[in-house]
Amino acid sequence: MTCSDVQRVLPEILDGGPDARLAPEFKTHVQSCPDCSDLVSDLKLITSEARQLAATEEPSPSVWLGIAAQLRAEGLVNDALIHEPESLKTSVDTSAAPRPILVPSAPRRRWSTWWLAPVAAGLVAAGSYVVSHKPAPQMAKQQAPATPGPSASPTSSEETPTVTVAPAPAPASQVAEKSAPPTPPRHVVAPAEELAPSDEDQQFLSVVSTRAPSMRATYESQLKAVNADIRETQAYVNQNPGDVDARQHLMDAYQQKALLYQIALDRIQ
Amino acid sequence: MASVGQKNLRETSVVTLLLATCLSSAALAESIKEYRYTVGPSANISVDTQYGAISVRSGSGNQVVVTATLKSDSVEVDHQQTGNRIEIASHLLQGANEQTGRVDYEVLIPPDATLSLRSSTGPLSAERLHGDLTLEGTDAVVNVRNVENGHVHVRTMRGPITLTDVHNGHVEIASISGDVHLTSVTGPFVQANSGSGKIFYDGDFGSGGDYKFSTHTGDIEALAPADVSADFSAHSMLGRVQNDFKLQPRHSRFSVEEGRSFFGTVGKAASKVVLRSFSGRIRLKQR
Repeated sequence: MTCSDVQRVLPEILDGGPDARLAPEFKTHVQSCPDCSDLVSDLKLITSEARQLAATEEPSPSVWLGIAAQLRAEGLVNDALIHEPESLKTSVDTSAAPRPILVPSAPRRRWSTWWLAPVAAGLVAAGSYVVSHKPAPQMAKQQAPATPGPSASPTSSEETPTVTVAPAPAPASQVAEKSAPPTPPRHVVAPAEELAPSDEDQQFLSVVSTRAPSMRATYESQLKAVNADIRETQAYVNQNPGDVDARQHLMDAYQQKALLYQIALDRIQ
Repeated sequence: MASVGQKNLRETSVVTLLLATCLSSAALAESIKEYRYTVGPSANISVDTQYGAISVRSGSGNQVVVTATLKSDSVEVDHQQTGNRIEIASHLLQGANEQTGRVDYEVLIPPDATLSLRSSTGPLSAERLHGDLTLEGTDAVVNVRNVENGHVHVRTMRGPITLTDVHNGHVEIASISGDVHLTSVTGPFVQANSGSGKIFYDGDFGSGGDYKFSTHTGDIEALAPADVSADFSAHSMLGRVQNDFKLQPRHSRFSVEEGRSFFGTVGKAASKVVLRSFSGRIRLKQR
């Protein structure tokens, strides 16, 4: 069994339908091939994490469509039916629709950087999950009295999500709503602590170091920046779980990280 | 003996210098190549280079003319036409770097062509077109000018993005830390997002469009005429907001927090404008 064969049967294997005849060959190859071994580990991790996400709250279909479109654009999956080995075909085919398959890398793309795409997709999915997951019971504590200003409708009947935090900068020369009542008490966001880079980030930087060493420092600094943005926004959301805008910012921050991965994916292959 | 030795040394130095010069000239030999294609309506054209500028303008008729300036022979140009689709790509050879691998492209295309440009270093520019445009660059400066009726999608990591006179388009801009500068950009959908870059908008927000500008730490500044017709929403979580317009109140599910948000309409509220930042400052200024 070659690396290409492994890539072809991998989705089936991971879906829990290993073929009795191919499983030993698959296992033997994966044990002897570091690249395929890494690939299997990564996909198992992603699959496992994705299942946990799905178990709590499924991202919107548009997220998956976006991911699928991106993967197709990158040539990483193909909707066409593959010529499966006979041994992989079940006697009763319950899925009428063709299953996406991994496409073997183009000859000039010798490096295994395609994993960046699912990682980027995972980031978007994770961001979507975090944004859509609402810890409702804490909202009452966080909400502040409505403070309608002159240019806002005082008739708004909805509860006001709590707003912000942190020491306020000096007022601008002319701030909006000058005659509005005093701002309600604010929750201070704890400074975001810098955490050790995740495995995915380290792998990402490792690939960048190999393929584009001159860009390593740039990508690393950008990665630190987007991670800091995510942590900062997450801390804010944790303290203000009912703030819809903050959740949107958190989603934006995850999308920024996904964008960084995608740009790298495009450039370092 | 000493004078003979010095003479030999001098001659050797001169020869070595000449040899080095010849070798470096050969390695950095700049060459210009031109490619011409004939295409039908709504052709699809992509230009991809790791290093170098790409400048695209509308040409005449159904001709695509690509002029590539290769900075050395460490890089080649791969080009292919498949029906109405043209792909141009720089192909780095062994040992190529940012200097020797650079290829600058000047491209003339039919104005209705769909265009995709990618370069790490840029700059990237496109003007006088009305097909769909996609421009991507890592550090590339991106300029789009005089474009209408098409989708304009731009994304960069650090490169600043400038759009001028873009009308009736579906505009989507994303950058991690690049500034975004929009002048006279209108359309049914205009969205710009930058993490730490600033967003500047100067225009009238058209009529009936959906405008969304957001940053994490970058400032947002929008400059509009007094007779603008828009429904504004602005909110900065940790930054300040500033507004020159007298906004008419409207119903909102959000409440105003002094200095951090404002909502309201001007004129007939033809367009919807949302300005959001996590910690950047937001200013809505009257021209």
